[in-house]
Amino acid sequence: MTRMRLIALCTLVVSLSAVGFAQDPPGPKRSDTLPPGKNPHLGRADSIKSGQVLFQTRCADCHGLDARGYRGPDLTAVLGGMPDERLFQTIRKGVPGSDMQPNNMTDDDVLLIMAYLRNMNKATVTETASGNAENGRKVFASQCATCHRAGDSGGRLGPDLSRIGSARSRDALTREIRTPSEWMAPGYESVTIVTNDGQKIRGVKKNEDTFSIQIMDARERLQGYMKSDVQQVVFEKASLMPEYGKERLNDSDLNDLIGYLRTLRGSSTR
Amino acid sequence: MRTITLAVAFALTTITLGAQQAGPPQVTNQDILNGLKDPAKWLTYGGTYDGQRHSPLTQITPANVQQLVPQWTFQTGQLGAFQSTPIVIDGVLYVTGVNNNAWAIDARSGRQIWRYRRELPEGMILCCGPVNRGFAVLGDRLYMSTLDAHLVALDMKTGTELFDVAMDDYKQGYSATVAPLVVKDKVILGVAGAEYGIRGFIEAHDAATGKRIWRFYTVAGPGETGGNTWPRTDAYKRGGGSIWVTGTYDPEQNLVFFGTGNPGPDYFSANREGDNLFTASVVALDADTGTLKWHYQFTPHDVHDWDSTQVPVLGEIPIEGQNRKVVMFANRNGFYYTIDRVTGKLIVAKPFVETTWAKEISYLTGRPILLPDNHPNELGVRTCPDLGGGTNFMAPSYDPNLKLFFVTARETCATYFAYDQKFEIGVSWTGGGTVRPREQRNWGALRAIDPITAERKWEFRYPTVSSSGVLSTASGLVFAGDGEGNVIALDSRTGKSLWHYQLGFPVRNTGGTTYMLDGRQYLLVPSGATLTAFALPR
Repeated sequence: MTRMRLIALCTLVVSLSAVGFAQDPPGPKRSDTLPPGKNPHLGRADSIKSGQVLFQTRCADCHGLDARGYRGPDLTAVLGGMPDERLFQTIRKGVPGSDMQPNNMTDDDVLLIMAYLRNMNKATVTETASGNAENGRKVFASQCATCHRAGDSGGRLGPDLSRIGSARSRDALTREIRTPSEWMAPGYESVTIVTNDGQKIRGVKKNEDTFSIQIMDARERLQGYMKSDVQQVVFEKASLMPEYGKERLNDSDLNDLIGYLRTLRGSSTR
Repeated sequence: MRTITLAVAFALTTITLGAQQAGPPQVTNQDILNGLKDPAKWLTYGGTYDGQRHSPLTQITPANVQQLVPQWTFQTGQLGAFQSTPIVIDGVLYVTGVNNNAWAIDARSGRQIWRYRRELPEGMILCCGPVNRGFAVLGDRLYMSTLDAHLVALDMKTGTELFDVAMDDYKQGYSATVAPLVVKDKVILGVAGAEYGIRGFIEAHDAATGKRIWRFYTVAGPGETGGNTWPRTDAYKRGGGSIWVTGTYDPEQNLVFFGTGNPGPDYFSANREGDNLFTASVVALDADTGTLKWHYQFTPHDVHDWDSTQVPVLGEIPIEGQNRKVVMFANRNGFYYTIDRVTGKLIVAKPFVETTWAKEISYLTGRPILLPDNHPNELGVRTCPDLGGGTNFMAPSYDPNLKLFFVTARETCATYFAYDQKFEIGVSWTGGGTVRPREQRNWGALRAIDPITAERKWEFRYPTVSSSGVLSTASGLVFAGDGEGNVIALDSRTGKSLWHYQLGFPVRNTGGTTYMLDGRQYLLVPSGATLTAFALPR
């Protein structure tokens, strides 16, 4: 129901700054592991502000200005249970297999960013699991599974939600279930192909160049079209996913659904 | 009998020695001055000294371009994409790649003749990948800038090094990626590294020995012309002003023209008050001495990383009944400029993409009239274009017959942040960064601009931004690429798409070239780690 891809990214600035460092540059320390002792910036207003600026310039392009996710995960959702050591190493070393690269920020800059994230995360770390996950599973099966996968089953027209519950905040999940057309993630943008005989084929755009477009249609068929061979390609403003307003999904069921999503930890086959 | 034997032996020796005797140098200064008049050659980054990238070839036409078919593909076998313009000399291509690898390639078959590998040191400081933009050539020598900020000369016949001279210290953040420019007996090039606190320069080296002849700092120091546009501190020592795109040359005035990079740090500017000359400018330098003849600064006190490292294209155009010698310049800041290349005075300037930072360029002062609220700060300020700019280092082309300037345009905006970042050697020193909102749709286009009015004549849209260079031909074609890997031929009068081929990787920060071989016109396109040659069927 949400369209967040589980790709961890960090800014181009960070990834590019890592290029060319086969050896440690001189100057302040750049440790592989969390420096010993308490983070000296934790809870300090000036440090938090500096950390915010660093975050905005180095991380926000992927994680969003408010850290609630964009191309990369919503950090307000994932940091609650993440110990400092792991957070430090994630920033320092990146996430293997993802677009988040290692970087050579100083230890102090990493600690500043951590102080900012920890402060921002205060409100959400207390976000406890709630909702009836069993009922949520049923809601998912009846309302979502046609298009979305969770674990080992479900559709493929929409994004795989097997890990979404641990990567997105409750607020973000709610927004994206209630108003899915607000933003459609790359790979899931709604499109209609009008063929020369007037047939309309709806689906999601998988790829496109100047002359061709590749889609998954509503029956999950992967199709490619030359634009010159069809009457029209319409890039729809509305997502293929219907808006799940309260009349369609009441607050209680929504709460249960999010509760269920939060129990998921990926597919058993991966 | 003995006499006869000796005579035969002498004759054989003479024949053998004759075969061993090297011919005249393959490329003379006159050859370079001739530009693309010899259809079997492409001898400089822009094909001709004026940087027009406009070929006189007419075998491939709007009527037959649809028949173009690939002839061969060369693969480097390496990670990393070409940003290089191949040199073409009588059936052989000379091309540079990532990490200063280089190849001589049979232009008929795409087969390698020799390969050069440079042993690069550890600890290089590179902002933007281990790229290179190509060779310069003179005599039997090829010249290449290196990632560790050296200039090397290679033997064209073998690929062996003839000299290797350092321009500056790579450990201090200096690097070099630009294709050098040969003028007379000099090799002219510059350094990159503005994101790492360098003081940029353009310099000329003796083509025979490698010895440096002159240097022009793109960041003016105390007491120098332009020095008063920097604070009375040591800010100029880290003032940026990289050179990473090849300049052009006007033989009549004996001037070279180079676009210069952004000031450093990129976004936070409180410690570099002033216009910061000669960053974000075009400079006209005497080719023999490096003396500044004039400069035009596109973005005084730049705070958006808008390098002016685009190609200063030279041409002659009629303005108010007079034939004017001009520089045509589509700038990263989103404005297109036509400048008098004798005086350096602005003739016309207009936006060629959406711009929100300047109302217009004043014809009185030549300076932008700034719009409020575009200075990056800690809270973030949205400005168009984004840091990638309205265009960037992908080369444009100019058709002197149609009097149209073709440029890849980017329609993007970004939120810019700035903060006071402490300088540290080897650490990216931008003093900020940018974010593009996820809802924002970025797209691109190839646009034809009339340099007399700076008005757009036509555009061909791409679904996303492209970084493709442009090539035009006298037959009325423009070749460019979208952001997804298509090389596209368009009608240069109308912008109508006539042919395309999916290469599998975008033509990125380079462009096509064209040459004649065995009576056939080839279109050569670098993309990704491949070169692909196209021609009409036999």
